[in-house]
Amino acid sequence: MPRHPFRRNRSGGFDVVLEAGEAAVLTRLCEELTTLLSASGGDDAPDPVLERLFPRAYLDPTEEEAESDWQRLVHDDLVDGRRKALATVEGTLAGAKVKRARFELTLDDEQAQDWLAVINDARLALGTRLQVTEDLDFSDLDGDDPDNAPYAVYWWLGMLEERLIEVLSG
Amino acid sequence: MPGGVPRPPEPMGQLETPTIVEPDIDETADLARPWVVVVWNDPVNLMSYVVYVLQKLFGYSREKATQLMLDVHHKGKAAVSSGNREQAETDVSRLHAHGLWATMQRD
Repeated sequence: MPRHPFRRNRSGGFDVVLEAGEAAVLTRLCEELTTLLSASGGDDAPDPVLERLFPRAYLDPTEEEAESDWQRLVHDDLVDGRRKALATVEGTLAGAKVKRARFELTLDDEQAQDWLAVINDARLALGTRLQVTEDLDFSDLDGDDPDNAPYAVYWWLGMLEERLIEVLSG
Repeated sequence: MPGGVPRPPEPMGQLETPTIVEPDIDETADLARPWVVVVWNDPVNLMSYVVYVLQKLFGYSREKATQLMLDVHHKGKAAVSSGNREQAETDVSRLHAHGLWATMQRD
């Protein structure tokens, strides 16, 4: 990761610099999330990632009707919002300037919010798949073991997200 | 005090007897009891992210958002807003859109 993957620029937007490998991983994550969102909510066994991305509003079993009504009202918009954010990240990455194996691009406020949403959704998806716990210690993991690649990506997404939040909050 | 024979106090005036309409108990209960929106702890979301989202969505100060986040983290959950059913549903939707796990319940 470059020293400052995200930086506010003079125009009130954000300059983004990523290693080419990072941009490739992010693009692949966007593609996987887009595919996941297109999965029909049919009669197949519920996908725990979709359940995590689109949870219930009501826990009270006497509110099933309110739950269904609310899902019917908001679910499609929640999916569309995620799709839009994914399209933003994919589009801005595709339009990046590539300089010495680094991807450079600029984001406005709204695009930065979309990047935050996608990075967070990617963490939620990956974290759910890997069944991570709060006390997951990355220093224990053998970085050379290819089975640990998803954990490395999860760790990297966390670092990237922390940097983006720092810059957005600054 | 002016002189004269003291008189017993009089009521302020004759109030009109209102027409009593028996309220629908469920409707009254619905209006009277607000809904509370609860954010639950989860093993993925960053503490910094939860603080950021609470500030963004509810306009809370950094201090308040941080305290709520710590409640979520240490107690497993925290009430982040309240209102009528519609308001609570809207807040839940917005929190879900930001990847937080939120539910709503009667207060």
